[in-house]
Order: sequence, then structure tokens, then C-alpha cells
Amino acid sequence: MTNHQDMPYPLETEQLSKVYDNFHALKQVSLRMESGEIFGLLGPNGAGKTTLIGVLSNLVRPTSGKAKIFGSDVSLELKAQKKLVGLVPQELVNHGFFSVEEVLSYVMGYYGLKPDRNRIYYLLEKLGLIEHKKKKILQLSGGMKRRFLIAKALVHEPKLLLLDEPTAGVDIELRNTLWDFVREINKTEGVSVLLTTHYLEEAENLCKRVAIIDKGELKEIGPTKDLVKKLTQRRVEVTLRKAPEKRERPHFVEFVDNKYIFTIPNNMTVGELLQQCKIPIEDVLDLQIREGRLEDAFLAVLSGKE
Amino acid sequence: MNNPSTSEVQSYKKLLFESVFPFWTLFRKEVHRFLKVINQTVGAPFVNSALYLLIFGVSLGKSIQDYHGYPYLAFLIPGLMMMSLLNNSFQNSSSSIVGSKFHGDLQDLKIVPLSSLQIVWAMSLGALVRGLVVATVTITVSEVFYLVSYGKFLIPSHPFMLLAFCVIGGLTFGTLGIFVGFISKTFEHLNAVGSFILLPLLYLGGVFFSISTLHPFWQKVSQINPLLYFINGVRYGFLGVSDIPVGSAFAVSVLSLILLQLCAMYSVRRGSFQRW
Repeated sequence: MTNHQDMPYPLETEQLSKVYDNFHALKQVSLRMESGEIFGLLGPNGAGKTTLIGVLSNLVRPTSGKAKIFGSDVSLELKAQKKLVGLVPQELVNHGFFSVEEVLSYVMGYYGLKPDRNRIYYLLEKLGLIEHKKKKILQLSGGMKRRFLIAKALVHEPKLLLLDEPTAGVDIELRNTLWDFVREINKTEGVSVLLTTHYLEEAENLCKRVAIIDKGELKEIGPTKDLVKKLTQRRVEVTLRKAPEKRERPHFVEFVDNKYIFTIPNNMTVGELLQQCKIPIEDVLDLQIREGRLEDAFLAVLSGKE
Repeated sequence: MNNPSTSEVQSYKKLLFESVFPFWTLFRKEVHRFLKVINQTVGAPFVNSALYLLIFGVSLGKSIQDYHGYPYLAFLIPGLMMMSLLNNSFQNSSSSIVGSKFHGDLQDLKIVPLSSLQIVWAMSLGALVRGLVVATVTITVSEVFYLVSYGKFLIPSHPFMLLAFCVIGGLTFGTLGIFVGFISKTFEHLNAVGSFILLPLLYLGGVFFSISTLHPFWQKVSQINPLLYFINGVRYGFLGVSDIPVGSAFAVSVLSLILLQLCAMYSVRRGSFQRW
């Protein structure tokens, strides 16, 4: 299958399943990524995200179904296809006796590229590791190891980057730096990015489209904004000049002092709400609106209230 | 027939480079890995060999009868050299895989464009290099002992045969290390293979004694030990005599290499690259 520009999709799965003994880690998952997008794969712990990434990177053999990278079945283990993918695994990795620079040189060699110091130093510079290039991986801190893994995944200039919780256990400043870098390579090198993360606010800011999986099953997939709109409600707090008469009102949730709290559908305006509740605008002292967030959508999917 | 154009030749060269360079890189990394810890990988076998030669070759050797006219020290040297070579070849590939499983970087080999065949050959050649380096160190020490004891060097009778057995032995045990490394699920599994299978087979494979000194029953039993053929092949290369006909030794050695290549290929294709 190809996308609208006749380019193969960076990633595509069809009815993909993985069963470990009697445990269904993936249940007929079908999804695809558009070329050049940053796509979020969201789900609670044990949802099957890492298994899916494992299948896409050849580390896990699927029980049934197909996974394709740039149009080729991953089970064929084509060398040309492997060159297009970079993987940042969830778990931190060490490399025994080798230094940061040595590992990156060897990884370039594995991809059939002569070690290119410019590329290596560019990535180390961007990821704040240039001063640590002679250190062994064991000597790096957790955050440095995460950044090193990103450099390692990008050293051969892949076209698809698989990021499996790259910011787990990383402080907020570093997380922002990493996401800025992901945006940059997405823009400048045209790298399509699949990421999994537990930081839903970051996923909301970064990903144009997301998929939510739970217990191995694909629950929702689509543009982030559309999912939020579909699965969440707006919260409206209306503070009145004087205490209102107590009576039943549509969308009413809570009443505190002079304040009504409502939740309304995303396609409903505040004007319509006030009209339906028969609240004259001159009685309104203050209005606060909180739009639905990806986190709310995520929780709604997990609780089955979508 | 048309000559290929310059661009065709260049693209062919590029394709060849992209196929060979990943293999070359893994081979280089395997060699670099053992050189990083040279004290442990080459220094320790040097000390071991010196002790064996001193205790068995020089001290006890004087009371042991000659072997086809050669003193016991001459009998011991080829066996000792092959024992070091086989042991170190096995340890190089097995510890590389098991160490990578522990560190979590073994999965790199699965996601990069290296075929199973390239992985097996690059790792077994890396193992062979370590085996040959250690064998060279062992021979150097041995020659010093021989020179001091007998006033001359021990010159190999069939140097090409000696080299052939060393290369086949190193590749076979490097390949065995890959197979054992991939199927091991813990460090204990790897150690168990080394301690309970390889070590007894090595010691009973004719390193320290000729099987002709054994009871006929045990001579028959010894013949099912494949290491006997490797060690006697090398002994033939050195001394021109051995307990096993050199043709049989060569055939068993080559068959062992082919069999273990198949096992290693299977383990790389079907084994787990995941972290322990």
C-alpha cells in the first residue's frame, strides 16, 4: 500500500498479532503512518507498545499478520529496509569496553558506511555529549545514555525513527531538549517518527496523529485534535454576580458558592450553554473554559467511556 | 559482449562495499574487544602455558617415556598450543555474545543489515584471530623452554598441515562459542558447558598423554572425543607422528566445523537477541 504521493508508507501493520504462551500481547493491530509525520503510540504499561516496536525492528516474531516498513515486509529482513530504520529501545544499553565515539563508528560500519566523524560529532554536539565522546557507555549518567541511544539510532541517517519511551526517567529540561531535537530532525532530515511516551502533554504537542492501544488492542487512531475533540468535553466555570436560584440545568456538574461548573460537548459554544441554562450574560461575573486534553481522551478510552 | 559502463562499475563497487563493510566492521569489533582486555585474554594464557610447561613438560616430563623418539616436552607443546587456541577461540565468541546479552547491545546485530552468515563468519574469524594470537604466545614460550632444555628449537615437520588444523580448530571453536552463547540463558549455562563438557574433553583429548598408553577399551572410548582429532592433527603438523591417522583427523575436524556452522546459523536465526 502507498500513500497519496505514491510513496510507500513508512510503517504499516495489518492484523498484527503476537501471542506469548496464552498471553495476547498484540491483537490484530492495523495501523499506518504517513510519510514525514511524528506519530504517537500511547497506552498504559503492558499495552503492547514495546512488542509492536519489537516486531517492527525484527526483534520479535509476530504470531500472525504483517508489518511493513516502507512497503517491505519486515520478516523478509531486507538489508535495504534495515538501513531506513533507527531504533531507540526503552531499556538503557551498555557496550562493555567501548567508548561513545567507538560505538557510533562501529554502528555506522554495520550500516555499510565509513565512520564519518562529522556526522558523529554533529549528533554528539546536538545531544550535548561531545565532551563525553571518549567515555565508556557505563560511565554515562542515565540521561546521557538516553541521548547516546538517540545518537546511535540516527548515526546512519534513517528515514524512520522508532522511539520507545525515550524520555522515561529524564528530567523536564532534558525532555524538552530531546523533543526539540526530534522536531528538528523531522523537519530538516525528513525523518518519520514513531514514539511511545507516558508524557501525554508532550505527545499532544508533538504528534499530529496518535494511536491508543490497551491490552494489545488498537482502541483509537486518528489526528490528535480530532481524538481530543471526539473523546473529551469542555469544562466551563460560570461565576455569577449573585447566588443563583437552585434548579436543574443541562450539563450541570457542580455548584460552589456563586459558581456553576458545567461540562459541555466540544461542538457546543458557551453562548449556547448560557442560553440553554437561561443565565443572562449581565449576571455573569467571570467565565473560565478548560478545553479537553489528550490525557482526558486517553483516560476515557481506557475506562471504556468513549 | 558490452563492457560495463563506468557508472555500472561504480555502483557495483558501492554495492560490494556496502555488503562487505558491515561484515568487516563486526570482525574488527570482535578483535578490538579482546585487545581492549589484552592482559586477561592474552596475558593469562601466557602465564598458564608457562606453568604447564614448567610443571608437566620440564619437571615431570623427565620421568615420562619418549613418544616416537621425541621427549615428553615435544609431545606436550602441540597439545598445549591447541588447547589454548581452542579454549580462547571458544571464549572469544561466547563471551562476546553473552556479554552483549547482559549489556543489552546484542539486539544491534539483529536490527542492522548483517545476515546470519555474516554474523557467524565475522564472529568466528574474530575468535580465530584471538586463538591464533594466544597459540603464537604459547608456542613462543614453549620454544624458549625447549631451547633451554634441549639446546634447539622444535621445528614443525608439516607447517601447512599445522596451520590448517589451527585455522579449522579456531573456526570450529569460535563457531561453537556462537552456538553456546546464543542458546545460553544465563552465565551459568555458559560456564556449565565450559566446565562440564569442554574442559573434560580437552583434558581427555590427548593434550597431556598419548591414548596409546590407555587400556584398549578407553582407547575406543577416546575415539568418540572430537578434540582428540584436532589435537592429534596439530601434533602431526609439529612432529610428523600422532595417535590418529592424519586423514581421519582432518576429516573429523572439517566435519565438526561444518556441523557447528549449521548449529550456529540455526542459533543466530532462531535464537533470542533480547537482553537477559
